Amino acid sequence: MIPSDHFVRFYNEIFKYLEDKGHEHLEDYFLEISRHQETHCLKQFSEGGLQGMYDYWMMIKKEENCDSDKFIEDGQYGKVLKSFMSGCPSLAKVQDNDAGSCPLYCYHCPGWVLPLMSKVGYYYVYDLISLDMPRCQTTICEHIEDARAQLKLVLKRHKGDRTLVKWNFPEKD
Amino acid sequence: MIPSDHFVKFYSEVFKYLQKRGQAAVDEYYSTIAEHQKTHCLKLFQEKGLTGMKEYWDHIIFEENCDADAILEDGKSYTFYMHGCPSLGKVLDNDAGVCDIYCMHCPGWVLPVMSAAGYYCVYDLVRKDIPRCILKAFKHLEDAQKYLEVVKKRHLNDPEMVVCNF
Amino acid sequence: MKPEEMRYCSTGEVHLDFHGSTYVGLKYLLDHFGMEAVDEVLTNTAEKVYKSIYERLQRGDSSELICHWRYYLEREKCDFTLTENPDGTAVLELRECPALRQLAKEKIDDRPLICHATEKMNSVWCEGSPFEIVVEHQEKGCRQTLRFK
Repeated sequence: MIPSDHFVRFYNEIFKYLEDKGHEHLEDYFLEISRHQETHCLKQFSEGGLQGMYDYWMMIKKEENCDSDKFIEDGQYGKVLKSFMSGCPSLAKVQDNDAGSCPLYCYHCPGWVLPLMSKVGYYYVYDLISLDMPRCQTTICEHIEDARAQLKLVLKRHKGDRTLVKWNFPEKD
Repeated sequence: MIPSDHFVKFYSEVFKYLQKRGQAAVDEYYSTIAEHQKTHCLKLFQEKGLTGMKEYWDHIIFEENCDADAILEDGKSYTFYMHGCPSLGKVLDNDAGVCDIYCMHCPGWVLPVMSAAGYYCVYDLVRKDIPRCILKAFKHLEDAQKYLEVVKKRHLNDPEMVVCNF
Repeated sequence: MKPEEMRYCSTGEVHLDFHGSTYVGLKYLLDHFGMEAVDEVLTNTAEKVYKSIYERLQRGDSSELICHWRYYLEREKCDFTLTENPDGTAVLELRECPALRQLAKEKIDDRPLICHATEKMNSVWCEGSPFEIVVEHQEKGCRQTLRFK
């Protein structure tokens, strides 16, 4: 048995294997993870909205020992859930690993979250900061215009480098 | 005239010069900046506490075009999440190159002001070449000490990225 | 060996949902690339991730593997007995496997694949070492005997 504490290091080996086979395989796996995650949180997200998401990730924060903060605030058009991950236990464990980390490790997170968010009708922006740092910042919006404003801001932070920014909606109408 | 828009590029050159003179020279400059900054915000911090800090930095976020979030939590703490620091951002966009202690000027002046106002403050400077940081100010020392341990854990390999006034 | 001397010594809370995630990963590899892929990834996990356990076993030292078993099974609140012998052999009686317990909660019923992961990693760890691990499946868990070849 691989202890649940060590799952992410195994996960990281799967990513390396799939990326080596071709990036499309990695993307396809992310969709499979997303389908699996639906069993854990789709109902909570669709019924509870932002509060449901907040509650789900507060539970994850505790179980996975995340160093993070999140809060719900008013955006210009609707409510917004902001999250600040200052110490991601997942990437941190993968970096503390004799096998070395997959350079695309962080992508699995938007890879499964974004399709799920689209399914429940929320707009999500990821700022991955830097793929070698266990930090990121995310924003979930009820209204697409709030999300577009956030996306603009995050793209500016990365001077147009779109590899560190992920979202699930069209940039323009 | 150096346009106020370009002040920080000059600031970076000052730090480079003082760095060559030694840490004492740098520290003395920080003290001078802190004394100057006290005229801007000490009264506000002393009279309105954490709310005063939010008031002051909300104004800075606007005037300096910061990409930031600021949160007051239950009257216990004030957190400033800087996602896009215009100061380091400008210094990085600079033909003269950035001074490697540039970020330190911020805690260099803020911490003495926090101490003078009776608050406990922790900086997570994230990384010297990324214009992001997290400043957290606390009313109670115990809360600040607890948070400091969390931040230290983030920087096990680069403890100089964690700065506090207690 | 003391837990803090292991290469990886996790602390804090435990997120058991990761057993489900492990299964999804194994199943995905199997469905898309076959058992060869499952085994390649498990081999890398055993040899490269658990480099320290692997290299110790190669040198005839089972202390980290035994410590790993005890530490992580305790963290996952497993019903088990681990009998250690002075010569480095041991018997692990796993009356209820935490991975199978969690997968049952998630209504995933594919014990062969999950148990294959354990057996494959055991065999990679032991290949070229003086040890072997014999796994005997039981109702909700298994008995793993770490012995000399």
